[in-house]
Amino acid sequence: MYQDTFEDDDLIAEVELVTQDSFTENNDLDDGFEAEVSLSAQPSSVQIPDGVRNFILYFYRCVLENNVYDLHSVYDNSFNKLTNKYYQKQPWPEAEVIAPLVKDDQVFLTLYRELYYRHIYARLQPTWEHRVRSYENYCDLFNYILNSDGPVNLELPNQWLWDIIDEFIFQFQSFSNYRDRLRNKSEEEWSLLRDNPQIWSCYSVLNVLYSLIQKSRIKEQLLANKNGGDVAEAAGEYGARPLYKMLGYFSIIGLLRVHCLLGDYMLALKMMDNIVLNKKAMFARVTACHVTTFYYVGFAYMMMRRYADAIKAFSTVLSFIQRTKQYHSRSYQFDQIAKKGDQMYALLAICVALCPTRLDESIHSQLREKYGEHLFKMQKGDEALSVFEELFHYACPKFISATGVNLNKSPSDAFIDPNQNQIKIFIADVSNQIMLPTLRSFMKLYTSMGIDKLAMFLDMDAEELKMHLMVLKQKSRQLKWSNGDVLEGDYVATSDLNFCLKQDVVHIAESKVGRRYADWFLRNINRCEDIVAELEQKA
Amino acid sequence: MASVTERPESIQKLIDGVERYNPENLEVLEAYLDNQCKNGTYDLMANLAILKLYQFNPTKAKDNVVVSILAKSLTAIPSPDFNLCLYLLSERSTGVTQLTTLQQLLEQSNYAKFWTLYNDSTYKQLTSQVAGFEDAIRQLIARVITMSHQSISASVVQKYLALTGDAFTKFIQEQQWSQQGDVVVIPVNKDNEAKAIVVRENIKFEQLTKVIGYSNEM
Repeated sequence: MYQDTFEDDDLIAEVELVTQDSFTENNDLDDGFEAEVSLSAQPSSVQIPDGVRNFILYFYRCVLENNVYDLHSVYDNSFNKLTNKYYQKQPWPEAEVIAPLVKDDQVFLTLYRELYYRHIYARLQPTWEHRVRSYENYCDLFNYILNSDGPVNLELPNQWLWDIIDEFIFQFQSFSNYRDRLRNKSEEEWSLLRDNPQIWSCYSVLNVLYSLIQKSRIKEQLLANKNGGDVAEAAGEYGARPLYKMLGYFSIIGLLRVHCLLGDYMLALKMMDNIVLNKKAMFARVTACHVTTFYYVGFAYMMMRRYADAIKAFSTVLSFIQRTKQYHSRSYQFDQIAKKGDQMYALLAICVALCPTRLDESIHSQLREKYGEHLFKMQKGDEALSVFEELFHYACPKFISATGVNLNKSPSDAFIDPNQNQIKIFIADVSNQIMLPTLRSFMKLYTSMGIDKLAMFLDMDAEELKMHLMVLKQKSRQLKWSNGDVLEGDYVATSDLNFCLKQDVVHIAESKVGRRYADWFLRNINRCEDIVAELEQKA
Repeated sequence: MASVTERPESIQKLIDGVERYNPENLEVLEAYLDNQCKNGTYDLMANLAILKLYQFNPTKAKDNVVVSILAKSLTAIPSPDFNLCLYLLSERSTGVTQLTTLQQLLEQSNYAKFWTLYNDSTYKQLTSQVAGFEDAIRQLIARVITMSHQSISASVVQKYLALTGDAFTKFIQEQQWSQQGDVVVIPVNKDNEAKAIVVRENIKFEQLTKVIGYSNEM
């Protein structure tokens, strides 16, 4: 599942993918836009700067021609450059304003509006109007893609397709949070919310994602891929086209995310059936998608108490981010990825505190740097629970409730905030284990000890100690993934401390991992030989 | 982690597809839960599907169904099933809170207190729908004891299991433990053995062939 032995050529492969994504060798294109910049830098509501006008015309041409390659650079680079130049604090011109430039092409205008609203959500504060219109725009877009006669003849870059799904869910999340914060709402807002239950409803979001999956038959394709069957046949008419295939695939990741936000972790992981988590998977083609996938998979594992699996997921993706950091720093998504990386370090700290495991050296040093003190506090003492809570609060996704608050009740009626709900359950779980690190550290010092004596050291009575010992035993066993689908696993021992109780005496044994010389030497010998052979060839 | 004995195909199809969101299927799933309660089987995914439908249709939520699902998931400890169910609940009725108290006691391995609380009639009533609840809990406790002890005094075991006399002796025999005086001896298994293990590398000859090949060329 995780191909951990990254050789140099693997890194080159990753770098190639990434540099393609942030292709910036298009200075000539940019010059084209800037060449005829009008003198006024502040566009009025009707006047569009020439640079922007040319951009839109070029953009439109790329969409018409299905020129995915140029479209990618337009989308990734030029749009952001122009945003930074002209539209840092104000929205792009409305679709109606640019409509004459593109001959009122509705499809293009729908795509344009997607970017328009995304910009508003990112840089400005969306109003109720914006939320509704954006929702309707997404409905139009998905309607067009899903319900036209036959598959549509449109090609968009993968990055954009992922961003569409990602933003769709993000706006849904944003709306749910807005809806549930009732305290400062005016009567007008209340009635708007009450009269429009279908706007950003949970059902419609799920409907879109499931429909994309069904239309593209991505599940059948993945199954055929896994079993070596005929993928083309499994794909059907829609699924064979990259637009549908990728939207279907990204919808799976989208559902993974939505189910986590609703608190259904088992179903979230079930969505990932037949997807293997290695770097050849389709989600690795778009970095943001790659990071998001691992974040939610790791989070779901953690909530299902599969700490060992969560640690592995987080470690894998954090290594990936670290290794490819220098290639990402130019991308506009760098901040988002860095933030997610930070959150994952926090979650990793929680998991390591609950299930001590050896980590990869570079990850371990980063973790110590960021959360060393937190780790220390979580394993001893009285502040442990509050540290757990603080880290969880920082790193967890913003949960949503499926139906939101009952708008017909007054705000003083009890409404369980989904965030509070999840945190409370998690902390209750952790509080049952809070003594374990101290217990473990004492036990590592002895091979056998009477219960009474140990209880005295720990300042508790013998009965309580016996309970903690039984809890420790139970927590030393977890479901751990070894092969197959993401949800599967075997119960294995995950702790290096073994003990047993013989009446009132504890017998303890620690298992050690021998140093792995052979693996390291073998790898480096092979590498050395390769280098020598290369040098000899060149000589 | 489908902890299921035998899931009928109709239920499998239901929870695999989008039909799981159709509130009209609630009856089917609730009837299946009823079956589980009567026959002692257990199907986590189907029960989670019920809770999810309740999440989306709070007006259809039935407290006694939620309580039965939670009671069933108590028998699956140390699996996190109970918590997975709690995550999906958007309301806490008194029944749920009481079951949560029981769950915490079990998770803390505080078995003596668990039985004391359980024998209070309000608590017992919550799990009355689930056939074989007490047996299942006893099995769970026995598992934990088997994992962590090689020998344990009989009075302690009686306290943990809330069994005495003949019922106790019968239980011991079923678990294949043996009683010597007032100590219960548990056979050695892989969990309750305190053996020091050194995890060493296992290098196979094939992995060395390349290196040996290089040395040949020198």
